[in-house]
Amino acid sequence: MALYNRDSKLSEAIMAHPNLIPVVNRLGIRLGVGDGTICSVCDCCNIDADFFLSVINTFLDEEYFPSDAAGTFSLEKTVDYLQKTNNYYLKVQLPNIDRHFGSLVERSGSDNNLHLLRKFYQDMRSQLTECLSYDEDILFPALTGGSADSVEFNSGYSEVEEKLHDLLFFFVEHLKGEYDLNLCTAVVTAVFSLEKDVCQNNRIRNRILRPLVESLRQS
Amino acid sequence: MNDNRCISIIGLSSLESLGMRFALRESWNGRIETFSSFEEFIPFAEKMDAFIVSSDIYACNIDFFLPRKQKTLLISRVAVNRDHPSGYNIISNNWDLAEIKGTLDRLISILENSEEPKGELSAREIDVLRLIAAGKLNKEIADTLCISVNTVITHRKNLSSKLGIKSASGLSLYAMMNGII
Repeated sequence: MALYNRDSKLSEAIMAHPNLIPVVNRLGIRLGVGDGTICSVCDCCNIDADFFLSVINTFLDEEYFPSDAAGTFSLEKTVDYLQKTNNYYLKVQLPNIDRHFGSLVERSGSDNNLHLLRKFYQDMRSQLTECLSYDEDILFPALTGGSADSVEFNSGYSEVEEKLHDLLFFFVEHLKGEYDLNLCTAVVTAVFSLEKDVCQNNRIRNRILRPLVESLRQS
Repeated sequence: MNDNRCISIIGLSSLESLGMRFALRESWNGRIETFSSFEEFIPFAEKMDAFIVSSDIYACNIDFFLPRKQKTLLISRVAVNRDHPSGYNIISNNWDLAEIKGTLDRLISILENSEEPKGELSAREIDVLRLIAAGKLNKEIADTLCISVNTVITHRKNLSSKLGIKSASGLSLYAMMNGII
């Protein structure tokens, strides 16, 4: 069952789940949403409320599967949302982690194993960037250009999910030595936020985009 | 609280063993047993909760000690930098008393905070972990260890479950941080 429906207040949804803020931004809604329902706010912003609801419910609820995605949403809207998501990783989240991780290593001396964790992060970052490039250069143009038949989804995102989990785990369980406490918290919080976002958007990729592409292939 | 547990001292000289007992007694009220060789120690191994061992005996019996690495303390007779990155619990005879005491206290703290030896890796799992860290594929690991690919997959699942690490590169990092490679 969906967490939110057309009559739910958008402001209440955002207050209960602040991690929805970048998601609603990507969907075209900015903060200062007023006290309207999701349906009324979407209407004002000229946004498809059903698509909006499917994205936020899939994002928030691991168990939620949108009903009849193929019959309800356009490929263009879904690709547009995922392009904005990918852009957010590249322009905001990864540079934010880079900056904090760099400062953390610089200010924490050498009596720790941060250099190993940073190397692990950089490897994960490269793999994520490769996945994003594949989407941007091959997958999305093929899907919106009408050649969905001939293109494959990149399977690298699930490995990225695993590596993000492991990076957090190494921080939590295996971090050794002296380090700057505030900067370390900033890095871990930013990585945690990225991990959650990548997992949640992979659900959107698998539960909305894939069924859409499958239905196009069959038609 | 730790009265029933036993720390074993293996392969140290009489003088080293005496010093170690003296140092341990300041913060450990459990049992301490001393063995002059690995052969003398091995019949009692399963009853021991921690191992203080000379580096030469450790090196000759790595299959026994590596899976029990967290509860093993190496005594090195050659100078070792206190910030060594290997991940071993280690004391070198070039360290001052405070450094030695600090390391012993950490070992005792590990013992006091541990329940059962859950999560410890078997010798075979460590073999598989080393080969994963070397970048080998399941088939190559199976061929090297003369086991089936399914057995390798089972070992990988157990490694992930015991260590809480999901990715192959995470397992490699764990192996590196803990001196397994």
